[in-house]
Amino acid sequence: TAAMLKCEMNGSQVKVFGKAIQALSRVSDELWLDPSEKGLALRSMNSSRSAYGCVLFSPVFFQHYQWSTSMKMNDDDRPLNLNCKLGMKSILPIFRCLTSLERNVEKCKIFTRSDKCKVVIQFFCRHGIKRTHNVCFQESQPLQVIFEKNMCNNTLMIQPRLLAEAIVLFTSSQEEVTLAVTPLNVCLKSSSEESMDLTNSVYSEMSVDPDEFDFFQIGLDTEITFCFKELKGMLTFSEAVHVPISIHFDFPGKPMALSIDDMLLEANFILATLADDRSRASSPQSLCLSQTQKRSDLIQSNPKADKSGTSQAPECISRKTAPKRLYSRETPTNNSAGTCGNPPTRRANGASIFEVPESSLSDTDEGPGSPYLRKFSCMFFGAVSSDQQEHSNHPLDSLAIASDSEEDVINGSVSF
Amino acid sequence: MVNEAPSGGLRPEGPVGRRNPMHALPGAGGRAGEWVHRGDRKSVQPRCLSLEKCSGYHYCGTMKFRAKIINKGFIELFIQVSVTIAKLTKVCVLRVCQDKLCFGPTGPRATREARLWCEVSRGAFYQFNMEGVSEELNEIYLELTSEHLPRAVRNAGNAASLKLQLTNKRRPCLTVVVELASRTGHTHVMVHDLPVRVLPRTWWKEYPEPNVQVSDVSVYLPGLRILKSIVERMANMGENVLVEANLNGKMNLSVETDVVSIKSYFKNLGNPPKSALSVTQDRDPETMVQVWVENRKLLQFFEGQQINPTMTLCNILSNTLLHLVLVHEDVSLQYFIPAL
Repeated sequence: TAAMLKCEMNGSQVKVFGKAIQALSRVSDELWLDPSEKGLALRSMNSSRSAYGCVLFSPVFFQHYQWSTSMKMNDDDRPLNLNCKLGMKSILPIFRCLTSLERNVEKCKIFTRSDKCKVVIQFFCRHGIKRTHNVCFQESQPLQVIFEKNMCNNTLMIQPRLLAEAIVLFTSSQEEVTLAVTPLNVCLKSSSEESMDLTNSVYSEMSVDPDEFDFFQIGLDTEITFCFKELKGMLTFSEAVHVPISIHFDFPGKPMALSIDDMLLEANFILATLADDRSRASSPQSLCLSQTQKRSDLIQSNPKADKSGTSQAPECISRKTAPKRLYSRETPTNNSAGTCGNPPTRRANGASIFEVPESSLSDTDEGPGSPYLRKFSCMFFGAVSSDQQEHSNHPLDSLAIASDSEEDVINGSVSF
Repeated sequence: MVNEAPSGGLRPEGPVGRRNPMHALPGAGGRAGEWVHRGDRKSVQPRCLSLEKCSGYHYCGTMKFRAKIINKGFIELFIQVSVTIAKLTKVCVLRVCQDKLCFGPTGPRATREARLWCEVSRGAFYQFNMEGVSEELNEIYLELTSEHLPRAVRNAGNAASLKLQLTNKRRPCLTVVVELASRTGHTHVMVHDLPVRVLPRTWWKEYPEPNVQVSDVSVYLPGLRILKSIVERMANMGENVLVEANLNGKMNLSVETDVVSIKSYFKNLGNPPKSALSVTQDRDPETMVQVWVENRKLLQFFEGQQINPTMTLCNILSNTLLHLVLVHEDVSLQYFIPAL
């Protein structure tokens, strides 16, 4: 039998579901439906791999939730998931006019099977009207980013209304903004990269008092630069669900997380941040971001990844040594401090887990210029090594969310 | 204050403040105490804003401008003014005078183009301090991209205050500071640095205040919304429109093509008092004074302007000029459309 998803929502749940889709549409034009026992995850990643969004609806969010993997196994002897990718252009119009949907829809059913190649969305509306949408999907394994936000030095939590009030004054022409924090002050300002390039651009700056945050923890004075549009997308969503928005970040170059978390759903947007000059100069191995300052180039899926042999591969998620992880993992013994090679690969273990990749030097507390940065300035989407490539058809196959986890150790050195 | 340097003393303070006599350059034409220095800018604070050179020395005036609006109505009016200016001219020249701000277009004066002139008098501001280039020439001319200003202020509708200040942050800027009171009792302060070019005195004559010429007739305009909708419809018909008015409070707009002609008649508009006009001669009050203008220019004005004026009128100089005037409290907006 095939992998399957079947769920049911009422009108107000449809509104939240639609809002999630709208927020994810700010990230990219493609959406994965990814059911698991944790719930239904909606995932999206942009083409330059600099932004990733995931909204996980827990099973209790729905009136009814049912899913299964297929009985068939894939090459790795794991059951095949529903690998369902939809175009935003197809699904977004279905969830437009959310207020009227909320009013009119009594029940919404979503059903799909991996052997059917389409997702059926049915709205049972008032007055006996039934609306059915069939959306074709592409079979594609979802991409996922692992990021442990609890490991970040800086965490801010703020009511979305307050943040929205504050950022409304920001002129919309700015594509990138810089968030500068100290323990005493939080300041949002135009990215100096942009301001300096163009002599005719406006520089804007706004401060938010630490008291305004529900949670304020700054362990590292820092300034990170990221794309404003994605922040606004997440902010709109958090306003719609009335849940405070958390921002987790560290030093420039390391991805930041925007997240909201309540009992029924959990949303995470992982955004790349601009690495600063110092780190680029000091870590020649940070190939993925050394070439250009552009955010879009921060994550480079390695062009040689498809080729076997001596190709370089994007760094995978390596072992974790910090005790505060969500899930404990054994640290392979052949990794030792001082080497940055031989990191083990790690499979994603479900949408709700975000683990931060850590280098083998994670025991030392180093600043942005450290080798720390060169590994974690990009988002790393899976383990690809010369060994593994023999087993995977596609370099990103290893990202498949399997209900069971596996660890693979790369024997050869991985450089990137 | 241009570049509020923490180290005082070397810079004139206040309108009639302490001057540092050591830096007066006799015969330079400036006030005593103004900064004059050699090419090496590093030796002086603040940085020179002027673009003039004077026999190997940079002539440097410390210009100052700081203004603040706290009245909600005036903040909204200022927002409307900035939107209007951005719609009518891409780059504008802001002239800071002792008693008002003037916004005009930049660039060489093309006689065929319509021109804008907007004044905001000092009365709109809670605070207004300025110090021009010199005592004799107590004005500041700044050139900026018009669009930057409304973008910086457009969300300030609920602001507690709106401040404009001339600053020097690596380059001369018009800094706009919007202070918004948040529901939690905190204030959010948004700072925008708009890059400006300080125009040297030798260029000032390129941007004169338009002198209101003698006009042949002056009439109050009908409601702007009605006028705008009529002009819009006429714009679909023909390129040129005839505007005519007489001293009996009548005004007509007409457009004509080979196929159709449309004429709108307005009456009982009223004329401004004769003493306020410079009417050239006593003529039959029924005679219509005419001017043909490009519809596009007229439309641009009605679509662009955002102010809700308390008074509007137009002056026509026969076959030469259509001069539109809008006034609202401390703001006046004039638009000069030349005849075809």
